[in-house]
Amino acid sequence: MAAKKSAPKAAPKTLKPAEKTGKAELPPKVQKAPRAGKPAATADVVVIGGGHNGLVAAAYLARAGVKTILVEARTELGGMALTGDVDGVRAPMLAHTVGRFRPRVARDLGLQGKVKLVEPEARNFAPHPTNGTAITLWRDAKRTAAELATRPNGEKVAAGYLKLDGRMRRIGAYFEKVLDGIPPDLDGGKSVAELLAGFAFRAPFTGLEEGDGREILRMLPMSAADLVNEYINDDHLEALISWRGSRYNASGPISPGTGASLLFDSITGDGADGGASGETVVAIGGPGALISAIADAARGFGAEIRTGAQVTAITERDGRVTGVALASGEEIIAPYVLSTLDPKSTLLNLLGVEATGPELRRRLRATRNTGVTAKLNILLDQLPAFPSAGSAAEQEVRLRGRITILSDILGIERAFDSSKYGEMSDVPVVEAMIPTLIDPSLTNDKRHLLSVVVQYAPVDLKGGWTADARKTLADRAVAVLESVAPGMSGHIVARQLITPADLQSDWGATGGHAMHVNEGFDQFAQWRPLYGIGRYETPIDGLFLSGAGTAPGGGVTGAPGANAAEKLIRHLRRAAE
Amino acid sequence: MAERYDAIVVGGGHNGLTTAAYLAKAGLKVIVLERRSVLGGATLTESPVPGYKFSVASYLVSLLRPQVIRELDLAKHGLQMAPSVGTYTPHWDGYLDRRTDHADTLREIRKWSHRDADNYDDFKQTVTDITRFIRPAIDMPAPDPYGDPKEWLEYAGLAKDFGQLPLRTKGALLDLITGSAYDFLRRWFEGEPLIGTMSASGIIGTFLGIKSPGTGMVFLHHYFGEIDGSFREWALPQGGTGAVAAAIASAAQSFGAITRTGAPVKQVLLRGDKAIGVVLESGEEVYGDTIVSAADAKHTFLDMLPAGSLPTDFETAIRNFKFRGSSAKVNFALDGLPTFTAAPPGNGHLMGTVSISPSPDYMERAYDDAKHGHPSKRPFLDMLIPTLVDPSMAPPGKHVATAFVQYAPHKLAPEHGGWDNIKEQFGDLVVDTISEFAPDFRDKIVGRQIMTPLDLERTIGLTEGNIFQGEILVQQMAFNRPVSGWSRYKTPIRDYWLASSSAHPGGGIMAAPGRLAALEILKSKRGEA
Repeated sequence: MAAKKSAPKAAPKTLKPAEKTGKAELPPKVQKAPRAGKPAATADVVVIGGGHNGLVAAAYLARAGVKTILVEARTELGGMALTGDVDGVRAPMLAHTVGRFRPRVARDLGLQGKVKLVEPEARNFAPHPTNGTAITLWRDAKRTAAELATRPNGEKVAAGYLKLDGRMRRIGAYFEKVLDGIPPDLDGGKSVAELLAGFAFRAPFTGLEEGDGREILRMLPMSAADLVNEYINDDHLEALISWRGSRYNASGPISPGTGASLLFDSITGDGADGGASGETVVAIGGPGALISAIADAARGFGAEIRTGAQVTAITERDGRVTGVALASGEEIIAPYVLSTLDPKSTLLNLLGVEATGPELRRRLRATRNTGVTAKLNILLDQLPAFPSAGSAAEQEVRLRGRITILSDILGIERAFDSSKYGEMSDVPVVEAMIPTLIDPSLTNDKRHLLSVVVQYAPVDLKGGWTADARKTLADRAVAVLESVAPGMSGHIVARQLITPADLQSDWGATGGHAMHVNEGFDQFAQWRPLYGIGRYETPIDGLFLSGAGTAPGGGVTGAPGANAAEKLIRHLRRAAE
Repeated sequence: MAERYDAIVVGGGHNGLTTAAYLAKAGLKVIVLERRSVLGGATLTESPVPGYKFSVASYLVSLLRPQVIRELDLAKHGLQMAPSVGTYTPHWDGYLDRRTDHADTLREIRKWSHRDADNYDDFKQTVTDITRFIRPAIDMPAPDPYGDPKEWLEYAGLAKDFGQLPLRTKGALLDLITGSAYDFLRRWFEGEPLIGTMSASGIIGTFLGIKSPGTGMVFLHHYFGEIDGSFREWALPQGGTGAVAAAIASAAQSFGAITRTGAPVKQVLLRGDKAIGVVLESGEEVYGDTIVSAADAKHTFLDMLPAGSLPTDFETAIRNFKFRGSSAKVNFALDGLPTFTAAPPGNGHLMGTVSISPSPDYMERAYDDAKHGHPSKRPFLDMLIPTLVDPSMAPPGKHVATAFVQYAPHKLAPEHGGWDNIKEQFGDLVVDTISEFAPDFRDKIVGRQIMTPLDLERTIGLTEGNIFQGEILVQQMAFNRPVSGWSRYKTPIRDYWLASSSAHPGGGIMAAPGRLAALEILKSKRGEA
């Protein structure tokens, strides 16, 4: 009866884990085979995954007095928010901005001041690949509009941009208040109709005026292209803004539902500031600096963090979680497990059919998580010149933002089309950052890093991700960069490519999807990843889902981790009463 | 002094005629003004090839509301429908032939995948549960999110039902409303021709691909299908779809409604913010207390109203309402039945729908072409041979085949030089596509009629050739159709109503918008009285 004693004993009196069923009192499987004579560790909650969401969840849990052990399979923390190494230089491995990290989370965990964040004036620089023009989206929308006004049909475009930016900020504020937290419950006799009706009554409380409320109900299922086109008629600018609805995802700007992902990417309010330009914030020392800060906070609250600890199974007994089994043979006994792995890894790989049931597996298998985004990290012996950004001095300013290279909506769609049939784009969409412009400490000399998102490169590439295929993709991305920064390829010292296949094998993301589960209105909010498990709880008693594959979605936000932890903490409090 | 009516209905398509019938039945003095020389709009039977009758545009009936059939007693007015059963899908490696017999259907599906056959019943049950749940919504006006809570009370029952649906059904419903037809089907199936053909229900009349989120909604829209209570059945009206319009017209006339053809309306006459009549192209003026437009939203609000008579926001919203026609219609006169290379013995497989939709990739690539402004190199075809069910459509021993073709984007890339320039070439493409699976098809053709999206627009008046008078997109349905806040058939112009498929619940030969608009008009008249 070790489990019965150990689990509750581990919990502070105020926070007893649920003991509602006799089942929970049965000794967990682990007791039958304590390997290597090691006594099994015990905790209230095991958090699986040491990415930003796992660390945030662990910090919230520990802060609430819950005995928490976090296990990360890799030897270092960070998951996809990692500061890694390119030819001896520290570089953002995957994510290169942390602008969407939720201020509420930073406040709750006391992260302010622990990590230095820099937000450049220029958020997004878009040199046109063929016609030599460029667009800069500044933090200050008026400054953007002033520059747009000089384009053909500029007055109209500028006015449209300001109108769209205003709308996106107001709706972004609503997202921040209503859609960024734990999704509302559609169940218990409630219905879609009631939820929609709820907008009418909820609106006043969120400061959402009727016009915006009506627009939300119309915009969520829209395509980003249609959404933006209602405000702006400018091929390049339309492509640039609507692109954010498909970035990191297997969709194109014409795909319906990308309106939802565009709006989610533009969350505004409570210190966040998205709008039509989107966030661009860089952590000094790379995203890893943010990770260290969260990890320190978690440890400070008393969470135990283990790296190099790969979970091979979530142990359960009669539908009740009993802990996790590690590759080392060790097991950790815990009545609760919160997994920030992608939902397929958690429910299909770490649990058997007897635990999940065939129905859930059938529906989950069909969720969309085909990774199409690769990352190319380039070390250059000098700062590349982007003529369309103007004088050298001007370039230094404009190039601090995200550098997005695309021409028009159909151009992005063409790049997307190939990926539907297992082929990489002939001309990929490229979004680069030069982190060393903002954080010279990364190289400490005149060398610069070019951190490049390359899309579309499907995980299921025909013929597989051979050395040749990898070279082809990298070359195609460099060719796109070369088109707006002539000569840059001559300055490449080292390049490092991470394909979706690598995300699958080295980061354990099923389908190699950077967002775990494809984003869009079809896998959104309460039905992300699936209706029925979209509110962090699962049919397996004691198992909670979190991570990018749950609401509100992917990106370095910390929101899914915080929401899932809050849900679990409420559950523990109720159970303790 | 010009004539005066209680109600003037602009447009003699099936919705306009339905509105007229309900209003006349309630005792109103009603006139229907139709631009063309024939009634019917897109529910039309004509004989461009002498001796052969074509359902020129719409070609199948499944969505026609049973209430309309009953309340207007359409059977008495000559409407006869024969069920069109089964779907035959030729494939390069064989075929899939699904008919009424359940065991045969499962055997056919098992040819391609055992798993699919095992899941088939569960799929049918799920879809049936969903359509049973959602169907009441197409027979009620849509509630407005910011509207009178009373509007939501009508939906209280539906809300309760949703609460009681099993989780898996709720999940599947959300999958349909938010996702793609392809992803929905993948939850059960893997067989190429099965998914290819079934996913077609998600793109008909829509400018999206089977893998585009939002096509689940179109799929659901088609699965509302119900003929007089019996489920998910398609039917062929005896004499073509024009017979449906004829029956409704006859009902309307029997209630005293006047129908005038060759009477194109130029503009709606306003006094202040109130509609008081219409002026015809001829200059003739017709006055009425209530003006109802059964034309699509663009004609209704942007063409037939004097400039500046609408609130700016509303006008902008109408300009943003998407039509994007994506389909064409090619009708053939045949001197014999085509022989499909891979087919079962007999003609049974030709009695229902012949669907050229061999695989999901075939369907998706067809969309990719259209997305970039080209007709599909290898289009999806939904072909019927009505003469096998209704021999009266052709001379003895002869046949007609009617092919719905997608994709045919209304807006072509410049290099094509417009639809009139590539029309015949497009017709040949359709012949080639069918002949790939039935090589002797081309030899049986004695005449053909090609209706490009541009023809549908010019002849029938469907903006951009969109068969639903506005795309079936999630953001253009229910309380957003055609404009948020104006989904209940009223318009910003007093006594000017919208009764076309541009209004809830949308397109197809449903006659639901026409009926619901009439009921709302009568309600408001009672309010006045």
